[in-house]
Amino acid sequence: MESRILQLISALRASGVRVSLAESAEAFSAVDLMGIQDRESFRLSLRATLIKDAKDLPTFDKLFPLFFGSGTPPMMGGDPSDNMTPEEAQMWAEAMKQYTEQLRQRMDRLMNGEPLTKSELEALGQLVGLNQAENLQYQNWMTQRMMRALAFPEVQKALRELMEQLQQMGMNRERIDQIRQMVQQNLAAMQEQIRQFTGQRIAENMSERPRGENIDALMNRPFHALSDADKKLLQREVKRLAAALRTRIALRQKRMKSGQMDPKATIRANLKYHGVPMEIRHKDRIKKPKIVVICDVSTSMRFCSELMLSFLFALQGQVRKTHAFAFIDHLESISEDFTGSNADEAIASVLWRMPSGHYNTDLGWSLNDFQNEHMDTLNSGTTLLIVGDGRNNYNDPRLDIFSVMTRRATRTIWLNPEPDYMWNGDSDMMKYAPFCNNVLKVGNLRELVNAVDELMSNP
Amino acid sequence: MADIFESAKSVKTELNKQKYIASDEIATIVYLAQRLGKPLLAEGPAGVGKTELAKAIASATGRELIRLQCYEGLDESKALYEWEYSKQLLYTQLLRDKLNDTLGKAESLTEAADRLAKEEDVFFSERFLLMRPLLKAILSEKPTVLLIDEIDRADAEFEAFLLEVLSDFQVSVPELGTLAAKHKPFVVLTSNNTRELSEALKRRCLYLFIDYPTLQEELAVVHLKVPDLNPKLAQQAVEFVQRLRKADMRKSPSISETLDWANALVALNASQLDKDILEDTLSVLLKHEADLQKAKRQMLNPPQPKQRPSMDDLAKFSGN
Repeated sequence: MESRILQLISALRASGVRVSLAESAEAFSAVDLMGIQDRESFRLSLRATLIKDAKDLPTFDKLFPLFFGSGTPPMMGGDPSDNMTPEEAQMWAEAMKQYTEQLRQRMDRLMNGEPLTKSELEALGQLVGLNQAENLQYQNWMTQRMMRALAFPEVQKALRELMEQLQQMGMNRERIDQIRQMVQQNLAAMQEQIRQFTGQRIAENMSERPRGENIDALMNRPFHALSDADKKLLQREVKRLAAALRTRIALRQKRMKSGQMDPKATIRANLKYHGVPMEIRHKDRIKKPKIVVICDVSTSMRFCSELMLSFLFALQGQVRKTHAFAFIDHLESISEDFTGSNADEAIASVLWRMPSGHYNTDLGWSLNDFQNEHMDTLNSGTTLLIVGDGRNNYNDPRLDIFSVMTRRATRTIWLNPEPDYMWNGDSDMMKYAPFCNNVLKVGNLRELVNAVDELMSNP
Repeated sequence: MADIFESAKSVKTELNKQKYIASDEIATIVYLAQRLGKPLLAEGPAGVGKTELAKAIASATGRELIRLQCYEGLDESKALYEWEYSKQLLYTQLLRDKLNDTLGKAESLTEAADRLAKEEDVFFSERFLLMRPLLKAILSEKPTVLLIDEIDRADAEFEAFLLEVLSDFQVSVPELGTLAAKHKPFVVLTSNNTRELSEALKRRCLYLFIDYPTLQEELAVVHLKVPDLNPKLAQQAVEFVQRLRKADMRKSPSISETLDWANALVALNASQLDKDILEDTLSVLLKHEADLQKAKRQMLNPPQPKQRPSMDDLAKFSGN
């Protein structure tokens, strides 16, 4: 039992739920307390101790029955030939003759309601490569493959034919219906048995999988060298990093709160102490930056922008106001997409709305759009943040607009994934760079984290 | 009234006596939280009875409920304690004569200092400690239920500060030293999930997600809280609310709003849910103008199902 719970916990971890050691220890003490007789309270005691996030509840609900199964539905037993009249039995034998030995065996099995044995299931699993599956998405697919390996479609077809034949041979209709119903039920039961087996096996595979590649290595890997699975992993990591960063930034903002001493406020506050200055009041400095971010979401820059936006919106509380814009060949305001709480969905919707074309990135034109409609978002106290590689496809860079923008903003930071020796060809980075206060190379997640820190530290 | 719950089942019956209908899930987890001595973190949409749960637990166990409402900018001095310097100062001023008496008889400075040291406790005692909810819950003579409401509204730093209190139930006050809990309070934290809570805080709590109730559960709640509403109308009303929740509203009606509405229906002496009654009372359920309009459009004039062409009509086009 204990090892089963541990397996469940590691399967949960493999599906991306964070379960700490303290929590798993607590799960055991909860189970000790509640006992395991009642399945429902057992489930609840595990759930309350292991799952701390509403969005992880479905994962738990999916995995739990795989490890602590509800039992396979029973099959209907009984050889149909048992209570047949001699004529019927003869008809049955006659009709069965036409099939191959193998098919006949399978059909008999369904009739008799014999479930698959453990070793049969194992063998089948081996056959379809179940041991390589490490994602529950494959559960249905694997089930289907196993059913096919059992020649299920053929068996089903044969059974249909058999029924028709029996009818033609003049068997009692009610009787045929009865047999058909039984076979149907047994079929469904067997399918469920296979489904549960595949699910269990996949979950076990997940729990045995060695812990993923060191996240540190991923953080240092350049964005363009990341696989899709890595990206997913990093997206998750961003959330954690953002939380850590938020605490640090909030603390810094709090510590910095005290600017110069404010004599008037101090006197007022200390009237209650007879004018003895017990509490010193300071003038508040506004530390939270206002940010206008313009992101290149073309194919080459997409992932970097995505992570940057995730960061910014995870740090909402530490920022006074964020205006976000995305561009490829024109500019679009994407702030509204982020009003909900889930940044992932928001980013997906933005990317869906702005599909990338082929070599059509045009920052110049996008800046023109910005000048026409959103120039008022830039004012004193605003940090202008641009995420892009500055590759303009030989379009006009519109430096005139850019210089006005940088003058209106308090400071301008440009995040570029390319190091400066690559700023050639169609890159206008050399032209834009002199207007920026800071051009940071952000080629991997670690550099991005540092850039965010820099962005928030000196408003 | 039971001071502690003996089983998950008794949680259910005791809460029921307090007019709180607890599902098996809620009862089991509350029981677990009490036995393990862990804080209970209740999350879910607004108005599903998270706060009510804490109140029901308090009255079922006969404990005092101490409530800390969180908001942005809440800090230690408002949640834990404040040192009353002004009161301390005032005391010193008023006691000056008495002090002179005591110290005046001293022969030497050392003796005066010793005498003063003996009286030190007067100036550094709990007398000058202004207790806020957290400290009150910790120092209470009797076991209490501490409700930390809407923790997601407080800042992240406050959360970090809560960690110490929630794991050890002790607080260090510089003027007095460390104050430990006499009785561990039963802690209930609620969150509307407007922001993600820190891992560390979640790790220390048992997690309970309370969602909107099912039709039967909600009906039971209405029966219990608004017994005057006739059962048929209650059924209709609850079905209506459940339908509204499925529709895409800016703010779905909560249980408390269902109850308000049920009370409104009783007050208006409604006998059935007709168009007039709905139009008059819908604003009790829906608090956004856009939602109101939408609900009126959808629910009062349900779109007529399009008439299927009959077989005869089809035959005309079949070409033979």
